[in-house]
Amino acid sequence: MFGYYVQTALRSLRRTPVLTAVLIAAIALGICISTTFIALRHVFEKDPLPGKSQSLFFVRLDNWDPARAYVAEDPKSLPPQLTYKDMRALMRSPIPGRQTGMFISRMFVFPPSAKVRPFRQTIRLAFSDFFPMFNIPFQYGSGWDKAADAKPEQVIVIDAAMNQKLFGGGNSVGKTVRIADRNFKVAGVIAPEWQPSYRYYDLAQGPVPPESIFMPFNLTPVMQIRTSGNSDGWKDFGNTPEDFLNSEQTWIQFWVELPDGAKLRAYRDWVTNYVRDQKTHGRFQRPLHVEINSMQDMLEQFGFVPKTVKAMSFVSLLFLIVCSLNLVGLLLGKFLARVPEVSVRRALGASKVQVFWQHVVECEVIGVIGGAIGMLLSVAMLSVIAKVLQQANGNSISGVSLDLEMVGVSIFLSLVAGLMAGIYPAWRICSVAPAMQLKLQ
Amino acid sequence: MLEMKHIKKVYRTESIETHALEDFSLIVGGGEFVSVTGPSGSGKTTFLNVAGLLDTFDSGTYLLNGMDVSRLSDREMSQIRNRTIGFVFQSFNLIPDLSVFDNVDVPLRYRGLPASERKRRIEQALGMVGLSARTKHLPSQLSGGQQQRVAIARVLAGEPKLILADEPTGNLDSVMTREIMDLLERINDSGTTIVMVTHSPECAERAHRQLHVFDGRIVDVERPRVTLAREGGSGVAATLN
Repeated sequence: MFGYYVQTALRSLRRTPVLTAVLIAAIALGICISTTFIALRHVFEKDPLPGKSQSLFFVRLDNWDPARAYVAEDPKSLPPQLTYKDMRALMRSPIPGRQTGMFISRMFVFPPSAKVRPFRQTIRLAFSDFFPMFNIPFQYGSGWDKAADAKPEQVIVIDAAMNQKLFGGGNSVGKTVRIADRNFKVAGVIAPEWQPSYRYYDLAQGPVPPESIFMPFNLTPVMQIRTSGNSDGWKDFGNTPEDFLNSEQTWIQFWVELPDGAKLRAYRDWVTNYVRDQKTHGRFQRPLHVEINSMQDMLEQFGFVPKTVKAMSFVSLLFLIVCSLNLVGLLLGKFLARVPEVSVRRALGASKVQVFWQHVVECEVIGVIGGAIGMLLSVAMLSVIAKVLQQANGNSISGVSLDLEMVGVSIFLSLVAGLMAGIYPAWRICSVAPAMQLKLQ
Repeated sequence: MLEMKHIKKVYRTESIETHALEDFSLIVGGGEFVSVTGPSGSGKTTFLNVAGLLDTFDSGTYLLNGMDVSRLSDREMSQIRNRTIGFVFQSFNLIPDLSVFDNVDVPLRYRGLPASERKRRIEQALGMVGLSARTKHLPSQLSGGQQQRVAIARVLAGEPKLILADEPTGNLDSVMTREIMDLLERINDSGTTIVMVTHSPECAERAHRQLHVFDGRIVDVERPRVTLAREGGSGVAATLN
């Protein structure tokens, strides 16, 4: 029967082309707006590392001012980053499978080709575990190894776009590029498909795209590299780079990989003991507070979904509801004009339920056609938004598009919109008494 | 086939009560061809609507094929309309944007028959009414007589036991009227019960039995001109109040 309902619906839609166009346009507009903003929200909300994120944990300690909390109004608040000395201490724990501290800095890059002018670039300094921890795929080569961490070697990992810019694409592993005052050898080139929408591994900098160059963390003291990211402190941090490294200034994000709950508990104990020990040395004078949170928890806590995107996704759903409800009147008029035909169908054996479903299917056909058009419009709109974000951030925002999950959501919304618009008119038309109409025709 | 006892049907508005059927009793046997005549507003069409389960009644009993229809659900009544009853209307009531084939197909769709069986029935029914060559035509491309024949083919395809015809020749000229009446007689000859409401005395006379309705009651019965000999038809007589 469903096939017959669809046939009947398509015939009915062809019968009133102008009205059909209006109905479809309204649904398309509603779906376009709602899908766009829900997709945008989804970009920020979805699990950036499915299957992996639950084993990655972000570590925070409360080394803040004994007199007041990190956020004065919230006594339980913690600084989001660690001091250099705490990071160093935590790196000595044998419990995590992998671990890395990291921060960003801006340095001058001198391309090998004289045709490309030197430019200032944000570079991430991290440990070798960074790449396997965050499932970074490689097109050429790989991340550096632990020996390079320890030495530290002057090696870098670059992404595909930077590889294109510096070396014109191709396998650049082993080639050198000058950064600041040193030459760095390329250890690996990240695969072009790695295009996360934002730096899910850096919760302190907000939702901005990843860096294009990575280098070993241990070059920090050697090259006297200073952070260009967020840095929080409550004490004077001196004048020299060494003073800064030994200060209570927090500027390093710290991640560990813990495969199961037992390891997590053991690691929590280990870190707690470390803080207790530090207390005996006069540090950590606030109440003992250690937070080791999963990546998903942190993404929620740090509010990576911009409030405007949250608000717009809600408003866009309301817009879709308004679009659908506006169609109720049009569909009611369209259906009631068909009372004679429905009466004939009832006389020929159609039950109320069959008439009801026939008309619901017609609304759903409108919903699906409108939804398909709305989805196409949404793809175009998302690409415009991506360009706007690109201009705003000075870098490309990738992943702002419809993935399969969002296509599913869009289809669902289309069906719901069709149902919302059509359920009352369908109920009215199936409730019509056929007897009078048959005689009057 | 059809047994009504003391049926009462009242249409009510805020200020007016119209007694469309009043103590209406009637028995129609299987295979009968009964005509119902009466002035406008006498209740003929109301009777047909009640008989065809298109309208409800206020009191009385109605047995169709021995089944009390007063307690049936909408789905059950729809099934009976689809499988047991065929309707022929004065204004044909074809769906304008469906082809002849698709119009005849409508009741079969609701019966859930497979496509091959529907096709067989439709072709057979259109062959019986002489419209095999017009399957792709729209109703608007046919004459009134042809449209009524399509409507009758739609009934025939469903192979109903009872045909309820509401002034089936009301919109036709005399030649077409004869053609349609011949067709209805042939259908009746094959054993299908027909109850036909008509204004035309000539058409009414072609029935086995003529009923006259006035003010919602049967007031006169013309005895059959010939003895009913079909199965279920013998011994059947109209029951007057």
